[in-house]
Amino acid sequence: MILRLKDCHNFADFRKLAKLKLPSPIFHYIDGAADDEITYARNTSAFDDVDLVPNVLRGVEDVDLSTTIFGKKLDLPFYLSPTALQRLFHYDGERAVGKAAKKFNTMFGVSALATVSVEEISSMIDTPKMFQFYFHKDRGLNDSCLERAKAAKFDVMALTVDTITGGNRERDLRTGFTSPPKLTLASLFSFATKPMWGINYLTKGKFELPHLQDFVKEGTDVNSSIGNYFSTMLDQSMNWKDAENLCSKWGGHFALKGVMSVEDAKRAADIGCTGIMVSNHGGRQLDGSRAPFDQLAEIVDAVGDKLDVICEGGIHRGTHMLKALSLGAKACSGGRLYLYALAAGGQAGVERALEKYKAELVRDMKLMGCTKISDLSRNNLRFRT
Amino acid sequence: MSLKNCYNFKDFRNLAKKKLPSPIFHYIDGGSDDEATLRRNTESFNECDLVPNVLANVGKPDLTTTLFGRKIDMPIFLSPAAMQRLYHVDGDKASARAAEKFGTFYSMSSMSNNSIEEIANISGGPKLFQLYVHKDKSITDDLIDRSRRSGFDAMCLTVDTLVAGNREKDHKTGFTTPPKLTLKSLMSFAMRPNWVFNYLTGKKFELSNVKKKTDKGTNIAKSVIEYINEQYDPLMGWKDAEYCAKKWNGPFALKGVMSVEDAKKAVDIGCTAIMISNHGGRQLDGSRSPFDQVKAISDAVGDKLEIILDGGIRRGTHVLKALAAGAKACSFGKMFLFSLAAGGQQGVEHLLKNMHDEIYRNMVLMGCKSLKELNSSKLIYRK
Ligand SMILES: Cc1cc2nc3c(=O)[nH]c(=O)nc-3n(C[C@H](O)[C@H](O)[C@H](O)COP(=O)(O)O)c2cc1C
Ligand SMILES: Cc1cc2nc3c(=O)[nH]c(=O)nc-3n(C[C@H](O)[C@H](O)[C@H](O)COP(=O)(O)O)c2cc1C
Repeated sequence: MILRLKDCHNFADFRKLAKLKLPSPIFHYIDGAADDEITYARNTSAFDDVDLVPNVLRGVEDVDLSTTIFGKKLDLPFYLSPTALQRLFHYDGERAVGKAAKKFNTMFGVSALATVSVEEISSMIDTPKMFQFYFHKDRGLNDSCLERAKAAKFDVMALTVDTITGGNRERDLRTGFTSPPKLTLASLFSFATKPMWGINYLTKGKFELPHLQDFVKEGTDVNSSIGNYFSTMLDQSMNWKDAENLCSKWGGHFALKGVMSVEDAKRAADIGCTGIMVSNHGGRQLDGSRAPFDQLAEIVDAVGDKLDVICEGGIHRGTHMLKALSLGAKACSGGRLYLYALAAGGQAGVERALEKYKAELVRDMKLMGCTKISDLSRNNLRFRT
Repeated sequence: MSLKNCYNFKDFRNLAKKKLPSPIFHYIDGGSDDEATLRRNTESFNECDLVPNVLANVGKPDLTTTLFGRKIDMPIFLSPAAMQRLYHVDGDKASARAAEKFGTFYSMSSMSNNSIEEIANISGGPKLFQLYVHKDKSITDDLIDRSRRSGFDAMCLTVDTLVAGNREKDHKTGFTTPPKLTLKSLMSFAMRPNWVFNYLTGKKFELSNVKKKTDKGTNIAKSVIEYINEQYDPLMGWKDAEYCAKKWNGPFALKGVMSVEDAKKAVDIGCTAIMISNHGGRQLDGSRSPFDQVKAISDAVGDKLEIILDGGIRRGTHVLKALAAGAKACSFGKMFLFSLAAGGQQGVEHLLKNMHDEIYRNMVLMGCKSLKELNSSKLIYRK
């Protein structure tokens, strides 16, 4: 039984503790994915179809895990993907995650649907930061997001392109997940049995969406589901021209988040992106779509020399990262790999998770006979057939 | 649990299970032998992945297509299924009305409890008649003539049911039609008084299309297995199929074609379509799944006739994958039968709405504006 942070040693442990601490609609919002969650499961199981082949006797006492993406040197070869609504998961929300990211000198991805403002985050941490952009119908809102992220000196802008419409997250339909949380009879019991969450939620500051609230009612006053937000507020006619315009307006490092086809990866390079996140949104959008790791090699072969390719989603272990990096990803990133830890123990939880992944990476690099990330190559991998 | 909370196949199935006496539920739910083919029909979709294109400016994707010479609003329709009055008092009327409302095909089984004429009267929507070749040729001829007179759009001849499959669940539950009360099934019927009440107070149970020609399936408690083995002609061959196609002289499909060779022969005898199907895993256990076979068949005859994938469909993404692999449309049986049991016409409409929305949403996520854009470049098979 896992009851304390001290008992958490891996992804599964953090998940269990998060389940214990969170009201069920909120836990399932993090934990769930689209339709039958087949893509969600594949995102992780894809790593099991390939094996690592170590080299021995190489003298590996000092391991350097650093990598450079978007022109920034990170001490870890992975970073924290942008995720929405973090103050629902722990009352410190983005403050906790940002401080933990700073401590490990890795990049912190901040969602357009963050519950702490870019200004506050930027005053708090000076380490690399990514702002995740949603393309809204309201152009005033778009301009405001861009200007504020620029003024707050964010290093990278990532445009999410896989949420043209909301995914079919059936767990949310059943639990009645809305933000802010709405009390239905069905969810009441769950909230009532997790009193600490409720007390913290109600007493530790008002729940806000600072990047949107001047422009919309949704998600603040009205009870809105995330699916509704995607389907009603985002601009479904978004196309390559819009992405290109945004990229040049931003004028700095720019990534598309959610690219899966080789064709699209090439176009991303053409419009001036400096990176792409190969991702299916953690299986939360199109179920039945390909896993990032399955698709990685093709994309690296096509555009790996032109932009930074990041493998995002399904990562639970240091060895998963080693496999992706060996295939040619510049870095990895993930959401749930730190979200359960956030729910389990706030900043201390995220730090513990990052410490665990870092220790795994160092140990596994040594076992592989590698001392720096650039030592990893496809020679280390064998695909089962 | 109510219709409102039914989001997917499992939900409809659970609700149907609550509402139906167990022999009837298991008649729908079961497959033959060890049900390996039944499971594979759905699992086969999971061995390949869709690859979306982003920033594609999709707007509102167009889900319409043409099938059997009629324009339909989405690339899915209801497979023919026998004896729908057992699942809900309104039987085929409910399915036919729901399909018409969503602008797609309803199919009538030879073993329907409503007559061809009755359904033609209540629905102007696209209609497919499913034919079995009976030992008594006059029954077959009569069904073809009446379907034409009543304005059915198309006909399919089922070719995978020369003998009945070994449905072990039916042996265990003692499923017969009309349902026979055994001690074992009595409890299950007794616990579902609504079903029993509706069944007994509704129209008399009969196989309406064949009642004048045979008393089988009406007066005596026959198991479906016995009925199939007694009535259907095991000597049926390509000549008989050709005879039916010529006599019908309109859009015509063979239902239950699995080999590339047979698909080519179907072209030769004048079929305009085939339904790749193993009867939902209810006949030959261990046979290949439609999705595993669709690409090979489409490569061979995709330009000569319309290919329908029948069996295993549970999700909008399954339909997308089938179309990307070469199918023109998909059909499903169990899924709509459970929704029929769960809520009659309203249940089937709820299901069709769900499926429509899933296909629509997933087309947007795929970056596809029309069904034509779903081609093999959108699908990658895992090694
Ligand atoms: C609870 C949750 C909220 C998320 N919110 C956002 C978001 O606001 N914007 C975005 O681009 N991606 C969002 N994502 C997707 C993540 O950025 C990332 O793609 C995904 O979590 C990767 O899969 P993983 O969780 O298996 O690592 C969210 C994911 C989760 C689990
Ligand atoms: C209860 C039931 C009755 C059926 N009756 C018939 C029938 O009378 N004629 C026929 O050609 N197919 C019949 N089928 C097969 C369906 O037309 C279809 O091939 C099959 O259900 C497709 O598989 P699925 O259930 O996985 O969608 C029946 C299927 C079920 C489940």
